[in-house]
Amino acid sequence: MDLLASTLVYGLVNSAVLLLTALGFSLTFGLSGVANFAHGGLYLLSGFLAWMLVHYLGLPFLVAAAVTVVVVGAAGAGIYRAVVMPVRGIVLSEVISTFAAGVAIVEFFRWRGFTTYDFSLPALVEGGVEIAGVSVDYQRLLIVAIGLGLTLILWVLTHHTKMGLALRGMSQDEYTALSVGVESDWAAMLSLALGSALAAVAGLVLLPLGIISINTGYDVLLIALAVTVLGGLESTAGLIAGSLILGFAMVITGNYLGPRWSEVVYLGAIVVVLAVRPSGLLGKSKELEDRV
Amino acid sequence: MRLTQNPAALLCILALAGTGASARAADGPNIVLGVPTALGTIEGQDSLRAVKLAVDEINAAGGVEIGGVRRKLEVASIDTREAEAGVPVNDALAAMEKLVDEKKPAAIVVGAFRSEVLLPAMDLNAKFKLPYLCTIGMSPGFEPKIEGDYAKYKYNFRLGLSAPYLVGNLAKTMEFIRKKFGYDKIYFVHGDVAWAKGTVAGLTKLTTAAGWKVVGSDPYPLGSRDFSSSLTKAKVGGAQVVVPVFDMPESGVLVKQAHSMKLKALIAGFISPAAQATAWDTFGGGIEGLVNFLFEPGAIPIKSPRSAGFYQAYGKAYGAKAQASLSGHGPGPSYDAVYVLVDAMKRANSLDPDALVAQLEKTEMDGAIGRIAFNKNHQVVYGEDPAKTAVSLAFQWRGGKRVLVYPESVADSHIEVAK
Amino acid sequence: MSRAPRSHRKERIDRGIKVRSDDIFAIGSARDLAYVVAPRALAILALLCFPLLQGLVSRYWQTVMLNTLVIALLALSWDLLASVGLISLGQSLFFGLGAYAAGWLDAHLGVSPLLSIPLGTAAGALIATAVLFPLLRLRGHYFGLITFALPLLFMRIVETTGILGGTEGLSSLKPLPGRTTELYLATGAVLATLWAYRRMSATDYGLVFQAIRDNERSVMAAGFDIQWRKAQAVFLAALPAAFAGAFVTHRYQFVGMPAFALEYSVLPLTAAVVGGAGSFLGPVVGSFILVPLSEAMREFGSLRVVVYSLMLLLFTVGLPEGIFRFAARKYGQFERLAPIEEAPDGK
Repeated sequence: MDLLASTLVYGLVNSAVLLLTALGFSLTFGLSGVANFAHGGLYLLSGFLAWMLVHYLGLPFLVAAAVTVVVVGAAGAGIYRAVVMPVRGIVLSEVISTFAAGVAIVEFFRWRGFTTYDFSLPALVEGGVEIAGVSVDYQRLLIVAIGLGLTLILWVLTHHTKMGLALRGMSQDEYTALSVGVESDWAAMLSLALGSALAAVAGLVLLPLGIISINTGYDVLLIALAVTVLGGLESTAGLIAGSLILGFAMVITGNYLGPRWSEVVYLGAIVVVLAVRPSGLLGKSKELEDRV
Repeated sequence: MRLTQNPAALLCILALAGTGASARAADGPNIVLGVPTALGTIEGQDSLRAVKLAVDEINAAGGVEIGGVRRKLEVASIDTREAEAGVPVNDALAAMEKLVDEKKPAAIVVGAFRSEVLLPAMDLNAKFKLPYLCTIGMSPGFEPKIEGDYAKYKYNFRLGLSAPYLVGNLAKTMEFIRKKFGYDKIYFVHGDVAWAKGTVAGLTKLTTAAGWKVVGSDPYPLGSRDFSSSLTKAKVGGAQVVVPVFDMPESGVLVKQAHSMKLKALIAGFISPAAQATAWDTFGGGIEGLVNFLFEPGAIPIKSPRSAGFYQAYGKAYGAKAQASLSGHGPGPSYDAVYVLVDAMKRANSLDPDALVAQLEKTEMDGAIGRIAFNKNHQVVYGEDPAKTAVSLAFQWRGGKRVLVYPESVADSHIEVAK
Repeated sequence: MSRAPRSHRKERIDRGIKVRSDDIFAIGSARDLAYVVAPRALAILALLCFPLLQGLVSRYWQTVMLNTLVIALLALSWDLLASVGLISLGQSLFFGLGAYAAGWLDAHLGVSPLLSIPLGTAAGALIATAVLFPLLRLRGHYFGLITFALPLLFMRIVETTGILGGTEGLSSLKPLPGRTTELYLATGAVLATLWAYRRMSATDYGLVFQAIRDNERSVMAAGFDIQWRKAQAVFLAALPAAFAGAFVTHRYQFVGMPAFALEYSVLPLTAAVVGGAGSFLGPVVGSFILVPLSEAMREFGSLRVVVYSLMLLLFTVGLPEGIFRFAARKYGQFERLAPIEEAPDGK
């Protein structure tokens, strides 16, 4: 096992982690143009909710996970109804109100004392294998598989089904979509519910890697932002490219420059990309509108 | 009816008179002990509980008699929020100011949680001139500050472990490992915070001098979630011992990842999530063989009446679950801090800060953490024998149990490595 | 379910002194004058008297007052940026740069606070403007995103490279002379900023800012270099925020990574939203509501953050004009019961 092989394997794993983290945020944005800043809060919510279902109600983890995904998806729809809908169209109010909702979720858990080291979710599969001399556990391989699988499913869903096309039409031109019979609020609510459910899926497969810590709620939002901004805000290919670039960049800097640099990478990426090419590497639309 | 009621009423009156009389005996106003710390953390929360426990015990025994007046103790706590993300240091200092202004404490115990708060808090305390018995913040900058300007900083004392002692203890443990197993390659991973950096820097010096080869040393910023690069490098470089120094919850990932990457090396250091008795459940056995330090006795009692007494009383007061998840840093010295303070008050026979400081400096007593005495820079001396100094402990996880392996004088066993 | 027919209805009428617009009044008597001037005169008087009441107010509440004024400065700065259409989610950027600039001047050049505060303010504001300059072409969420990320990036850079004291920060800096000076300095800064911003927004120069917010293209068409104008706005907005940073550095004789803390971004934003953006007075009023509230809730731990994020939510969604405008509108009106002239005939 050498450093290069490890860089390749863990670069890929890390990319998949980033991809999963950002998937829900990116999907919601791509479908309805709502930047859901409560993403991190929902991610954290899913972890604690599943933990409570397992520990207080004694549900098997898989059942708890399924319930969590549904509940968090519904919470996303609720956030749309209560928080986004009244300010729909005023972009900054959307950002502020979803951000506030996310902070409220995160700090609620801190207030209730979810800061101890007791919160940990079980891995779906135990054990591991060696790839090119690098040991990887099955959970991380599962993350890669789920990340790629979900992205593929979502791409088919949004590009080749009637519902997906209707939703994307909404984000591209609301009036035209309305005139061909797409109901705006319904579409946007669905997109938020889907995005939130994806945040829950991400939480459920990523959190077993360690223990659940409160501040993850903020970190996840930043990572989601970095990946989507880098790749382009509504492009599937861009999302994958963004996660690969950031994922490998973080592992490479970690391995060859020192781990302390890897956290600078994604914040730096947001700033540089926005300064140079705000629509992202592969994003096409909105370039004219958001830049003068 | 009347006949049965009357004796009861009489008894009531007698009881009331009795309490009235005893209240009159404890005449003076309560002595307030201020506890400004990060109550959102387990260290802070457990320390506050330990302080309350000590205060209750002292009050039950009649309080403190100063100048012929018996006075009870009272705890006033405030959350400095200093461990929350994004809360500035100033906020923590403002909390301390509020506590001092509104509750007029006679002294402060527990105190700052983060080193970054402890040092400016000492500056702030130069205005208040209150005896400040710190038990959590570990900054190595504490002693030089007192040495540099004794008159200004003499009110500050520390009962908790300080980073230099931790370095010494870790170095001794490493020396033991080197001799017993013939290991000589070491790898450091640590949190990118002041005390952890200082600890690793000091330890690097000592271990290199002792003949270890340092394979690598990586700081991880707060919020890190992937430790594969260090673990890979440790594996590639053939490190036999990995020394983690972390106080952040994310370091739980390190423990799990080391297990899943089949790291053969012995992990020996400090990882806060792996220190509690409940960690075995959290990590599902992935921590077998891990050697972890407990900064002070408390979470695991040592064989001394004071230490065992504290452990049992804590369990009795707060329940078995709280006892099992006792934090490895904070509660022991916090409990002792109250006794040390009361002892000094009795000897000084006054609450005057300068008189208290003079008596605190002469402290010499047995506590939950061992024998307590301050050095000239107001730090409790830590060593290896609880009969002579305070001690800090190391244990190894074996089959779900924490087995004490350091120091020699209290250990139940020696460090073992899996074949 | 029948209801007794009502004979009166509530009627809201603008007071006579208030002519259609918000800032023009028709004053006919001393009483009218008092009606208009009294609220602001009283507020200013109260602010100026506060430092003299040190015997009555505990040190702690003086500290709360100072924190309030600091947040008010940051919120004012936020409001100026918002008036150009730049919505900042990272006021701590300006605060942190000012704080570090002053700290560096003190620690490395040994400059006294008398110089390091003004120099730190100017340097912090200049650096902030230079950093944001290439990013000014961004609008909407993009600008918000970048300001959200920048302070965190600076924090990481300080942490990673260990410059400016790294994670330990710079400590034992020179203190300010005393509590009275501190209070007057902060109060003076808030009042001066408020006055300057309000004056500026009434001039042609200030009107261009608002025009940029409303329609960039028409401002460009009118021959203005909007990049340059935005940069000026950023600099002007950065001044009070950087001052707040420099001030706090010397007040606590310490500057460290927490100068870029999220709280310095979220509190001013919330204060501006709660108080009401766009008038400069609103954000100040918002700070005076939020900061003491946050202190009052200290014993509930992070519940306070939950509460103020819920307030942020409620005001964004429910009362976007903010408390100040709402109150000002009510103050300019009176309500009375007017008889309903034709009573409904039984149905």
